[in-house]
Amino acid sequence: MLRLWPLRQVVSSAGARFIPACQKSTAPEPAPELVEVFVNDKQVFVEPGTTVLQACAVAGIEIPRFCYHERLSIAGNCRMCLVEVERSAKPIASCAMPVMKGMKVKTDSPVTKKAREGVMEFLLMNHPLDCPICDQGGECDLQDQSMNFGSDKSRFTDIAFTGKRAVEDKNVGPLVKTIMTRCIHCTRCIRFASEVAGVEDLGTTGRGNEMQVGTYVEKMLQSELSGNVIDLCPVGALTSKPYAFTARPWETRKIESIDVMDALGSNIVVSMRTNEVMRVLPRVNEDINEEWISDKTRFAYDGLKRQRLTTPFLKDANGQLMQTDWESAFLAIARKLQGVEGSQMAAVAGGLVDAEALTSLKDLMNRLGCETLCTEEIFPMDGSGTDFRSNYLMNTTIAGVEEADVVLFIGTNPRFEAPVFNARVRKSWIHNDLKVAMIGAPVDLTYEYEHLGETVDVIEKLAGGNHPFCKVLESAKRPMVVMGSSCLQRSDGSALHFMVSTLANRVKAASGADAEWRVLNVLHRVASQVAALDLGYSAGVSGVREAKPQMLFLLGADEGAITRSDLADGAFVVYQGHHGDQGAQMADVILPGAAYTEKDATYVNTEGRAQLTRQAVTPPGMARNDWKVLRALSELLGVTLPYDKLQEVRQRMAEISPTLVRVGEIEEANFFKQAIEATKAGKTSLGKEPLVPPQQVLKDFYMTDSITRASPTMAKCVQAATEAESSVH
Amino acid sequence: MAATLTSRLFGQISSSVRNGIRRSYAAASGGTMTTQPGEEDKVTTITVEDKMDITPLTGVPEEHIKTRLVRICVPARNAMQSGTYGTRRWKIEFDVRERWENPLMGWISTGDPLSNTEVTFSSKDDAMAFCEKNGWEFFVEEPKKTSFKKKSYGDNFSWDKRTRRSTK
Amino acid sequence: MSKYIEKISRLFRIIKENGGVLGSVRTVFRMEELKTGTLVGEDELGNKYFHNPMYFVGRSRWVVYSDAAGHDYDGSQVPAEWHRWLSYISDETPDKADLPKYPWLAKHTENQSGTPQEYVPYSTTRPKIQAWKPKTEEVYRKHF
Repeated sequence: MLRLWPLRQVVSSAGARFIPACQKSTAPEPAPELVEVFVNDKQVFVEPGTTVLQACAVAGIEIPRFCYHERLSIAGNCRMCLVEVERSAKPIASCAMPVMKGMKVKTDSPVTKKAREGVMEFLLMNHPLDCPICDQGGECDLQDQSMNFGSDKSRFTDIAFTGKRAVEDKNVGPLVKTIMTRCIHCTRCIRFASEVAGVEDLGTTGRGNEMQVGTYVEKMLQSELSGNVIDLCPVGALTSKPYAFTARPWETRKIESIDVMDALGSNIVVSMRTNEVMRVLPRVNEDINEEWISDKTRFAYDGLKRQRLTTPFLKDANGQLMQTDWESAFLAIARKLQGVEGSQMAAVAGGLVDAEALTSLKDLMNRLGCETLCTEEIFPMDGSGTDFRSNYLMNTTIAGVEEADVVLFIGTNPRFEAPVFNARVRKSWIHNDLKVAMIGAPVDLTYEYEHLGETVDVIEKLAGGNHPFCKVLESAKRPMVVMGSSCLQRSDGSALHFMVSTLANRVKAASGADAEWRVLNVLHRVASQVAALDLGYSAGVSGVREAKPQMLFLLGADEGAITRSDLADGAFVVYQGHHGDQGAQMADVILPGAAYTEKDATYVNTEGRAQLTRQAVTPPGMARNDWKVLRALSELLGVTLPYDKLQEVRQRMAEISPTLVRVGEIEEANFFKQAIEATKAGKTSLGKEPLVPPQQVLKDFYMTDSITRASPTMAKCVQAATEAESSVH
Repeated sequence: MAATLTSRLFGQISSSVRNGIRRSYAAASGGTMTTQPGEEDKVTTITVEDKMDITPLTGVPEEHIKTRLVRICVPARNAMQSGTYGTRRWKIEFDVRERWENPLMGWISTGDPLSNTEVTFSSKDDAMAFCEKNGWEFFVEEPKKTSFKKKSYGDNFSWDKRTRRSTK
Repeated sequence: MSKYIEKISRLFRIIKENGGVLGSVRTVFRMEELKTGTLVGEDELGNKYFHNPMYFVGRSRWVVYSDAAGHDYDGSQVPAEWHRWLSYISDETPDKADLPKYPWLAKHTENQSGTPQEYVPYSTTRPKIQAWKPKTEEVYRKHF
């Protein structure tokens, strides 16, 4: 099929002939192993084995393509990337052809242009002319490339009126809409499913004109990353079901923001039109999410339009929550707080809260004399606890997985707790022969792993050095131990953390990894946790339970960690947040806040990387940015916070922890030995129960926080995933 | 012959005019000008210490100078397409002000005259200079580095690696 | 001379018809006018309609609003059929005219502006945000 570059010609011709006299190269003398290639007479040096298409990209020339994708394997079946190469009988498919020494590529020659025009004509012959009703219209590779490289007329006349090729649409679940007649058989979706998502659900049947992309039998595309095939599809064959027929790309504003559905902080682009979030797309960030986002990130945006708190609420004499205005809500709080001691107050922060709001709340409560500030998510506080940043961060970083050679997961299911991270692990498993092992309930991670056991005594054995897997860990050059934050929710969390830290230190010493390599990793589940711990919140609500406070401030705390029974009788509960969920239900006063698409805010991901969200839409109704609400409240309570502008809040954050304002960067934390030494004092015994992550199968993945619980799309996904479980296919 | 003469003449005139302007500007803005002694026409470097400030001239209300925060960035590539042309520029973005809904059509209104401003620049420094000139506070978001990874069609057929593809 | 006597006697008649001096002061206070005329009818709201061709056209037909309205009377309290007579659209009073009665005819209502029943224009666009209601919470969660 693929004609190799005529090797004999290269060998027979003298090397000197390939260096043209006219070429004035200002580039420095290349390293000897690089190959010299000429792209449109421009000299570039690339590694041997790179493809012609990549060499052209180095030269700054983009070759049109449909099937080729940087993060997928090479298919070479669309033929759009044909280019002329000197002394080659035919145009070559540049995406699959490796470069040869002295190759001369012509990307703008008549041969190349004619080849592209011919390919385009064949593609359009079987492609419907339905751009005006196609959701891809305006952002379609086929549309753009046919304008640029296609012919101005068609030879497709259909004299017999047999009609164009028509293919039946497939139902692949509630997220991806298929219009299979538009498919140009680039197989990107198939390659994505099998390589990145790790589900062999998609494939082709038939040959030539009869070829069809599909799932063989009708079934849901059972992947937490399935939405990415919508982006990958270069035509409108796979489009978004919730987004169908709602907006055009030229009508929307694109706001570059950060996702908060998990602790990874995937970079996203929010499309906004008429003050509505129309859709969420990924944004490339090699350090975090590459080019992928999870389905929760992509499709939970309709949850931002339901169950919203749009006005303040205040409980009236009958105990009914009634709508009110800001002033009366604030006054009610101020009145209730009169005479309440600071020690009788407590605050709990939820999983979607930004660092600015956390800072303001902490400053406010501290000014009122309250020191009980907690997060809903538990993290062991015994011993060194959260004093050392290295104790609670993903120290190896997400991109660090690509350098690792052994990964040990403990009590986590990264596939659903951090889907994009799991895709990265899978990538390393494919390309770098990464070894993966797991302690905890056996779950499908989409790649093979060694299951070491379900209970914590395996960790004890590993830490003691008497487990067969120790050999693998010790022989590793760059081992990683990833502990799920979910397993630390147990009562023996601190002992577990200590045991895993000991194991990580032992592995690091035994493996001979260099000093800079960090072994211990904590994979968090919620977006706010690292920022909260950086700011000095205590993790877990045990402090509130002990204090039995008169007054409780819930900042987006919706997981039901605290109930009325944990508080003093007749305690006064204030809830501030954006969704009416468990927190709002138990509150006496509700203050409406802004969701992550509605504010400029800072979130710190599980690596400790601070990132900024951008405001895409205005908060609904009377809702306001969270730190502004707290600032306004502080004035009524007589303890005015000393900041009026966002920049001033960020200055205050920098005073507390400079890492919170170093946007996009990771502050390295390397105090593992000290952390272990400090922890030794507070050691408790390990439990016997197996480590079971809360999200085990696909249907557990979709609804995890107040936004996703309000989202109808996520509800449909849960239903579809539940049905798929009992399906025969 | 005539052409060269005129060009030489004009060259002299223009250079002297230019120097005159430069000198007066440097003097007015409190900058320093160093001229190598004896070679007045040859090398003239000017260092302007003051930042240029055009806010008194632009007529932009003070509210939209002092309170705005500008983000300077490279626009992200549209994930739906593979082209990168749109990412070869720098742009400035203002902080978002309140929008409200028009009750008749449901369209949105805003009181922010800068919300529709889209200015692109060929470099980061140009964008920064523009913001400085206009008196806006700004921060720069550097574009994310992309890594170059060698790819090979042969990986699909390797017999001992996990990159081997069985399905298509 | 007799002209003046006639005017004075009319004044006394008007004062008498309006219930003496006190009644006349009350009427002036309420209606800002003292008039004499023949009562031609009364509507279901208690408004009384008077006629006196002695006054010039435009002032020759008038209404004395029912006492129930007090000082809060306005033109919209006149029902449509009396409005017909009062505005000289027809010379027949509603009881004399053969006005058609349809079952679908709505009962007369006065202008509600300024009251809680007033008409307020509303947005016809679909709300983009569905707000949370404390009561419906449990129902909603069962639904999904």
